[in-house]
Amino acid sequence: MGFNLDFALSTIPTIMEALGTTLLATVLSCLGASALGFTLEMIRRGGGAPGLAVRFLIDFIRSTPVLAWLYFLYFVMPFYGIRLGAMTVGILGLSLYYSGYLAEVFKAGIDAIPKGQQEAARALSLNRRDTVVFVIAPQMLRNVAAPLGNYLVSILKATPYLAILAVPEMLGRAFDIASETYRYAEPLTVAGILFLGLALIVAYGVKRVEQRLLAAGRR
Amino acid sequence: MSTFNIWLGILQGLGTTAQVTAYGLVFAVPFALVFGVAQFLTTGMTRFLVTAIIEFWRSSAVVVLLFVFYYVLPVMGITLSALTVSALVLGLNTGGYASQAVRAGLQSLPAGQREAGMALGLSRLAILLLIELPQALIAMGPTFINNLIQLVKATSLVSLVTLTDMTFRAKEIAQTNYDPVAIYSALLLAFFVVCYPIALAGRWLEARIQS
Amino acid sequence: MLAQAPHPLSADQSMPHVRIHGLNKWFGAVHVLKDIDLTIRAGARIVVCGPSGSGKSTLIRCINGLEAFQKGKIEYEATSLGKNTRETAKARRQTGMVFQGFNLFPHLTVLANCTLALRRVLLKPAREAEEIAMRHLTAVRIPEKAKAYPAQLSGGQQQRVAIARALCLNPRVMLFDEPTSALDPEMIKEVLDVMIALARTGVTMVCVTHEMGFAREVADEIVFMDEGRIVEQASSKGFFSGTAHPRARLFLDTVLRH
Repeated sequence: MGFNLDFALSTIPTIMEALGTTLLATVLSCLGASALGFTLEMIRRGGGAPGLAVRFLIDFIRSTPVLAWLYFLYFVMPFYGIRLGAMTVGILGLSLYYSGYLAEVFKAGIDAIPKGQQEAARALSLNRRDTVVFVIAPQMLRNVAAPLGNYLVSILKATPYLAILAVPEMLGRAFDIASETYRYAEPLTVAGILFLGLALIVAYGVKRVEQRLLAAGRR
Repeated sequence: MSTFNIWLGILQGLGTTAQVTAYGLVFAVPFALVFGVAQFLTTGMTRFLVTAIIEFWRSSAVVVLLFVFYYVLPVMGITLSALTVSALVLGLNTGGYASQAVRAGLQSLPAGQREAGMALGLSRLAILLLIELPQALIAMGPTFINNLIQLVKATSLVSLVTLTDMTFRAKEIAQTNYDPVAIYSALLLAFFVVCYPIALAGRWLEARIQS
Repeated sequence: MLAQAPHPLSADQSMPHVRIHGLNKWFGAVHVLKDIDLTIRAGARIVVCGPSGSGKSTLIRCINGLEAFQKGKIEYEATSLGKNTRETAKARRQTGMVFQGFNLFPHLTVLANCTLALRRVLLKPAREAEEIAMRHLTAVRIPEKAKAYPAQLSGGQQQRVAIARALCLNPRVMLFDEPTSALDPEMIKEVLDVMIALARTGVTMVCVTHEMGFAREVADEIVFMDEGRIVEQASSKGFFSGTAHPRARLFLDTVLRH
């Protein structure tokens, strides 16, 4: 049978059509994971019983595969009468899974702020809300920007998991072609190369932003 | 089917999960060591090639990579078992990540270590093997543990290429029993039972290294 | 502001600003402050000194509520520390704090460091806040760096900004926690000069420092601490001309020999 290069090239436009879905899933999952991860970290920081529960939840998420989470949400939610589209379930799954990692990122970002900053804020009589908004958050954002960017790339690379839930992103589209033509090697290779290229481009962009932030930090 | 039987059913896949992990390490460890050291030592064109190979394994989406190798190798006339292909892809992907820890560990050593070795008349290879690598590998121990956990979790993918690991068993059981809550909770729990002790060991190691 | 108006921080000399009574603090099992009694009169310039670990930094951090204490009282004119958070906040509003490590906010300009509390705590409009901040930055001789970020300043400059930042809230008492200990020797003088100038305006200040030259020139009262206790409390003149306590004598010999 051999590898048919012409056929491979002919699949590129069809697979690329799904680029938008891949990027949308990436961005929404990253936003969801950031929001959830930050919330989890805030609850963990608060301590007490909720803090302990969240600490365990984060450990649990980090000890379990994303694929198992996707199956869990996909099959368990309908059992309780919650019917969502595959894309929504996929984004929820990726958000939940990566929130366990981003909680750690936010933790490190906050821990890296010297204790003296909070003390100075207290000595200036700033209230808790103002201390978070004007003193802690801006410094935390600068600290987490680089690792957050790295997780954006990780999430991009995890979006093809959504093909398993039949979300028509790039890998899903490649499988569609494969099942129509009974040729798997070519469309999958194209998908592989496109994902690699995309990951490298996004990683490069993240690095550029990181360098600019670093330069800004040296002001 | 009782919750207990679901548990037992899923645990039947533990052997395959362990097997893929172990074989994966056979690929991951040598790759991480050789390519991490190579990226540290080489310059110019050689370094570019080494980096390109690492980036291929590390920056590719592992899901896609597994399918590509699973379907493309036979077309190229290379027939490997699903187990071997899975171990190769998951192992080298993990190895790609771990190679970066090896390189970073070597780079973070103070130059004085190498200079002290040179002053003692040691060869470059002896300095690397006796002075630099031992320190770098110990310092990066917690990172390697994290890489190992990622590998164990990634083995869930082999269920997609017909291997009967824990994830595959869960789906099999789900075909005959409509009890998704019990089945998929048990699957998550099974991975937790395997991975969490490794994570705790990593934390213990990290605490020891810091003290 | 009228030229002949007294400095807002200088007040009736007879009235005590802060009265500390029987203060005790433990860090776990360690008894770090033991039965501290101290009165900070309006216009007083108190230097707290003593060997490291004697509790002097902890004392000054208790005065504005950065550290909690277990026994005793810290009373301000109208309120008392530790009663509840509201009262503590009220008391803290009357103090300005200068830290050993400056603790400027690195993501804000010098000016924004100074205006932050003016705008968020005293709710001043932007223009007025900037005017007040610039006045204090001028007083610490660094108005030209208003638009700079802390990382662009030397340690001495950063500490002067920190002093201006604390002065912006118009505190009744200025607290200094080893303000020159983190500085390179060549920068200590510029900070001490600013503090001496500040002392001349009649500000009430409590300063933890090892700078005995500064103490001799500025302080009207020296408090010597050792192992969590106030071992000696004397007028500056009395302390330097012949302190009675052997441990204070020993400390003074060690410090002055440098």
